[in-house]
Amino acid sequence: MSENIFEVENLSLHYLGRFGDKTHAVTDVSFNMKQGEILGIAGESGCGKSTLVSGLMGMCIPPLYPTSGDVRVRGESLMNRTVEDIRSNVLAQKVSMIPQGAFNALNPVRKIKDIAADVIAAHQKPGSSMKASEIYERLRSRFDLFGMDTDRVLNSFPIQLTAGERQRSVIGISTLLNPQMVIADEPTSALDVSTQKEVIKMIFDLLDKGIFSTMIFITHELPLLYHVADNIAIMYAGEIVEKGTAEQVVKDPRHPYTKALMGAMLSSEKSQRTRKPVAIEGAPPSLAKKIVGCRFAERCSFARPECKKNTQNIRMVGDREVRCEYAQ
Amino acid sequence: MVKLLKNLLKSPMFVIGVSIFLITLAIAFLGPVFYDVDTNARDIVAGPYAPSSAEHILGTDHLGRDYMSLLISGLRSSLYVGFVAGIIATTLGVFIGLFGGFRGGWVDEVLNMGTNLFIVIPSFVILVLISSAVKDGRSLTLIGLIIGLTTWSWSARAVRAQASSLRSRDHIALARINGASSFTIVIKHVLPYLLSYVFMVFIMQISSGILSEASISMIGLGPLDSTSLGIILNQAKDNGALSDGIWIAFLPATLIITLTVFALYLVNTSMEGVFNPRLRK
Ligand SMILES: Nc1ncnc2c1ncn2[C@@H]1O[C@H](COP(=O)(O)OP(=O)(O)OP(=O)(O)O)[C@@H](O)[C@H]1O
Ligand SMILES: [Mg+2]
Repeated sequence: MSENIFEVENLSLHYLGRFGDKTHAVTDVSFNMKQGEILGIAGESGCGKSTLVSGLMGMCIPPLYPTSGDVRVRGESLMNRTVEDIRSNVLAQKVSMIPQGAFNALNPVRKIKDIAADVIAAHQKPGSSMKASEIYERLRSRFDLFGMDTDRVLNSFPIQLTAGERQRSVIGISTLLNPQMVIADEPTSALDVSTQKEVIKMIFDLLDKGIFSTMIFITHELPLLYHVADNIAIMYAGEIVEKGTAEQVVKDPRHPYTKALMGAMLSSEKSQRTRKPVAIEGAPPSLAKKIVGCRFAERCSFARPECKKNTQNIRMVGDREVRCEYAQ
Repeated sequence: MVKLLKNLLKSPMFVIGVSIFLITLAIAFLGPVFYDVDTNARDIVAGPYAPSSAEHILGTDHLGRDYMSLLISGLRSSLYVGFVAGIIATTLGVFIGLFGGFRGGWVDEVLNMGTNLFIVIPSFVILVLISSAVKDGRSLTLIGLIIGLTTWSWSARAVRAQASSLRSRDHIALARINGASSFTIVIKHVLPYLLSYVFMVFIMQISSGILSEASISMIGLGPLDSTSLGIILNQAKDNGALSDGIWIAFLPATLIITLTVFALYLVNTSMEGVFNPRLRK
């Protein structure tokens, strides 16, 4: 067994409100990742995916605070470090992120090459300044891998590029320093279908080329995850409710929420095409209140009376993890 | 930048405002070159209320001082106070607003509370209290300083609103997750968006500085080391120029204050018209 490169241990995060109220957006999340693994995380809107990402990068910026737990990159903890330390020693180098709505993420008044050069400059060791031409060459050789008209793209302002080009530029910028871990937070959610495909293709191209190898891919499109991820974790109301291989989670879900999610999804499988998508009744519980018992109990069609009282812990069902004591 | 200036120059309000303001600046700076200006306002050159003559274009005041000379040095003082107050209030406001708005969290919360406190405490009352407390050495610079220190809150509020809306922009998030320092982010990604705003705030602060000085001097709490437009008005009031109908004692000074402030207002409003479509985007 190879060593874990990314370890998350009982991570809980909360937002501190104006009046001291807390929103527990992420609760007790644990998982490990090995070199080369692609982990998909799925869950409905507001379940805490983006919050988890901030925690995974060690970027707990007010009002977000770590409650407990640890995140380690190759054994190095990212918790309880200063923002400045995380900024100069972790971001872009160890953990990098492709943000949600990435095609809007470029400063409209700066050229692509300047935005990219900023990233290199931000991580240069003091005293070792690179010449502008050196930086440009480095950018060129990297952007050449993206199958774009490199010189034109680098010398353009964001507005002069297509959505796909902008998206690729953002990915190129975010992976410029060969981070060990790349987190993609719904990188395709705001794009049209053909651009989505292109972007996914590019991400996998970069994986093939070894520019980065370990990735967390977040989306609410499960079919996409099935094709892309090795393992999938399903989040509900801040918790991971099920985690297993892509095959296990999608083809043979065990947690009632995952089951309902698969049912709610219009499957591309022929055998299931006749089944109508069923929306899950109700809404997830508010994360601002203390939740007693299973978080999914209110909406669960298999719920028993005890479910509303007993807090559920992750347990092994076969070789996968499920947060439900009755799951088989 | 050039395009922006072109757009501004297309606005008649802007052109008129800038022209008037430049004229007041020219009078203040070049006046002493062409006219015998006594900046200490002590020289008695003729009898009280002497009529206008070739030597003293606007005649003299109740003490027999050259009125034109008083007006020019008064304008110089007023503009000086305006700039001192404007620079202090803008710097303070921009710094506090940027820091709070960009940082967010409790830092922002505390700074915002302080800002709102300064907004609700009538700054003129503080101004009066401080001015009357400082009996000795109430100089022009000190008055400007006090005005600046009591009126920064509006700029802080305006800048904070802008900065905190920028904070959640995607491109700032990208810079941040790629490890740009807060300083870099503020310099490269926030300030460029705020520059036009800061400039507008500065102009407003100058004009409110000029007005505050006029008000505080009018009630007799102005600078003791020099004359100013407000002091001219104060002396006119104290000597009953108004009831005696000696309009020359108060009308020109009032007119100059009004014109200067109006010019700044025109500049500010026209700039808002040109800049805002960009800010709203
Ligand atoms: N700044 C904040 N202050 C307080 N609560 C917040 C803040 N940001 C997010 N939350 C809350 O935290 C929870 C998780 O939000 P998060 O953005 O992580 O969800 P998400 O799974 O990424 O959703 P989406 O799929 O819409 O991106 C939500 O209930 C949200 O209301
Ligand atoms: Mg999100």
